[in-house]
Amino acid sequence: MEKIRKHTKDAVKSMDEIRKQTENTVKGMDIIRKSTDDTITDTIIESIDITRTFKMGEVEVRALRSVNVKIRRGEFIAIMGPSGSGKTTLLNQLGLLDTPNSGKVIIDGSDTSRLSDSEKGKFRLHNLGYVFQDYALLPELNAMENVYISLMMQGKSKTECESAAAEILAAVGLGDRLQQLPSKMSGGQQQRVSIARALAHSPEVLFADEPCANLDSETSKEVLDLFEKFNQEKGQTIVMVTHEEWHAEYADRVIRLKDGIVQE
Amino acid sequence: MLEKARVSFFLASRSITRGNKGITIFTVFVLTLIFIQLVLFSSMLAGVTLKFNELMVNFQTGNVVVEPKEEERYIEDASALQKKIESLPQVVGASARLKTTGNFRYKEKEIGATIYGIDSADETFVTGLEDAIISGEFLSRPDKGEIILGREVSGGFGALMESRSLGGAEVGDTVELTIGGVTREFRVKGIYTTRYFMADASAYLTRADLEEMLGIEGRDFAQEIAVKTADGTPEYDTRTALLSLGIGENIRTWNEFAGILRLIESTLGMVRNIMNAIGLLIAFVIIFVVIYVNIVNKKRQIGVQKAIGIEQNVIIASFVLQAMLYAGAGVILGYVFVRFGLVPYTVSHPVEVPLGSMSLRLDNAEALNRAVLLFLSSVVGSVIPAYKLAQKDLLDLIWGK
Repeated sequence: MEKIRKHTKDAVKSMDEIRKQTENTVKGMDIIRKSTDDTITDTIIESIDITRTFKMGEVEVRALRSVNVKIRRGEFIAIMGPSGSGKTTLLNQLGLLDTPNSGKVIIDGSDTSRLSDSEKGKFRLHNLGYVFQDYALLPELNAMENVYISLMMQGKSKTECESAAAEILAAVGLGDRLQQLPSKMSGGQQQRVSIARALAHSPEVLFADEPCANLDSETSKEVLDLFEKFNQEKGQTIVMVTHEEWHAEYADRVIRLKDGIVQE
Repeated sequence: MLEKARVSFFLASRSITRGNKGITIFTVFVLTLIFIQLVLFSSMLAGVTLKFNELMVNFQTGNVVVEPKEEERYIEDASALQKKIESLPQVVGASARLKTTGNFRYKEKEIGATIYGIDSADETFVTGLEDAIISGEFLSRPDKGEIILGREVSGGFGALMESRSLGGAEVGDTVELTIGGVTREFRVKGIYTTRYFMADASAYLTRADLEEMLGIEGRDFAQEIAVKTADGTPEYDTRTALLSLGIGENIRTWNEFAGILRLIESTLGMVRNIMNAIGLLIAFVIIFVVIYVNIVNKKRQIGVQKAIGIEQNVIIASFVLQAMLYAGAGVILGYVFVRFGLVPYTVSHPVEVPLGSMSLRLDNAEALNRAVLLFLSSVVGSVIPAYKLAQKDLLDLIWGK
């Protein structure tokens, strides 16, 4: 009996050990699954609880209230919402053009809240691209120069700059207007130069703030087609602010804002 | 570092070549005027100084003056010493002079003046007095009882101190001259002007006449021997050569007689410095305003440049470079205008000033100094507004706030 009791006790002990091992295995599996999930989602930008308040005289306007968004690499995101909902403010925070009052913006694993102004400048130069509503080209530079100015700043040689600019301008359909000054171009052409400038240095993320606001429908479509082309063919991550529903149809996902709060 | 400078230069050059031409032309024009103003006064002063020097050498002292030994009144055996001096190869001529002061009386007027007794032939080799005659003739060796008067003595002919002159003595008139109690009458043979008031306040008669009045006839005395040397001979070398001849008399260069001129020159120099400081201040303000207006109009561009990652220092440097290029163009144009336009023009068409015909004289070292000052002004005048604006918040710049 004594022997049987001892055996039973050993068997229970072994069972406990097996259970413990199994639990550890499951735990390990969970860790592996979690990291696999992260790899699949591959978040490029994450905003954590960002709040932005502007002072307009005596009045404080809360443009963003604890906004949390995650954008995956290769996604085409449209930010929508009524006027004053905080679309552009959110884009400026994500694009490091502005600094939130609180919260963090993490881009490609880097916590940008810890960067100084000049470090942010360098980060923008190497990792981000911008397309503004009114094109914002430098009027004294021709199309090619507008495109390669950021490459020059990166220290690329003149030949490298010129060939990269010519290539990207050809890709946006302006291969025959390299020497043209912005004042001699239509709005659509200027916006295409602006897109070429934003993409010339192969940024991680392209930010576009109402890029079609000053363009007619046909030209808007051309610009959006270009965005779609770069997004689909090159996997370019794009974050675009728009107020037109049909523009949003180009996007993979829409972030809707209302009164500085993400709706869905 | 180099790529940053490259971007700054690129932005600056494009801004100048493709920016508002009117602003560029206006800025360069203003800077050209400022540079001209900065060098013009110096050039005028240099011209005046040169004129002073020329007048001293050409009409009064020659290059070097030999004077009696200490505590002696006269140079004895002057002819022999003169010949000795003339034997030097670099000496063009020497004139042994007697020099004293005397009182002139003409009609009711009486004035004092410096009186020279000269050998007219010798004097011609040393000074340009003969060519300075504006009425009558120059003295000749056998003349007796004849005198030539400077216009400040005779009066008329635009004399600067007319009230202190004889009030208009003319050629052919007789003037009374008193030296050391001896009075004699002289016929005015000629009137001269060098336009240099100090030289024009003298009178010249023959050495024989003055010897007679001083009571030293036939003694071969002189009170100074003015020596003229070949152009470009340094006065110091002449002095050394004269000393090597064993001349024990006092030897002085023309420079040592120019005391009052140096005083005038240094006074004008101070005025010039004040003018320069004011000119630079104006330059600074103009550059500041032009660059500031330029930058304010480019607020949004600066914002965009910052947004796409162009460093603040690069943006500031591009504006500073622009200002320096403007200043460079202003300096070059100003220099070319003065050096190849104004100076040659005043050489061929001298400006008539009380001193005589004056031309501008541009000193390259002075011009360089003014150019550097103008450059520094443009750097400071552009750094301040560029820095202030580039420091602004990125979104404020983009929104043009």
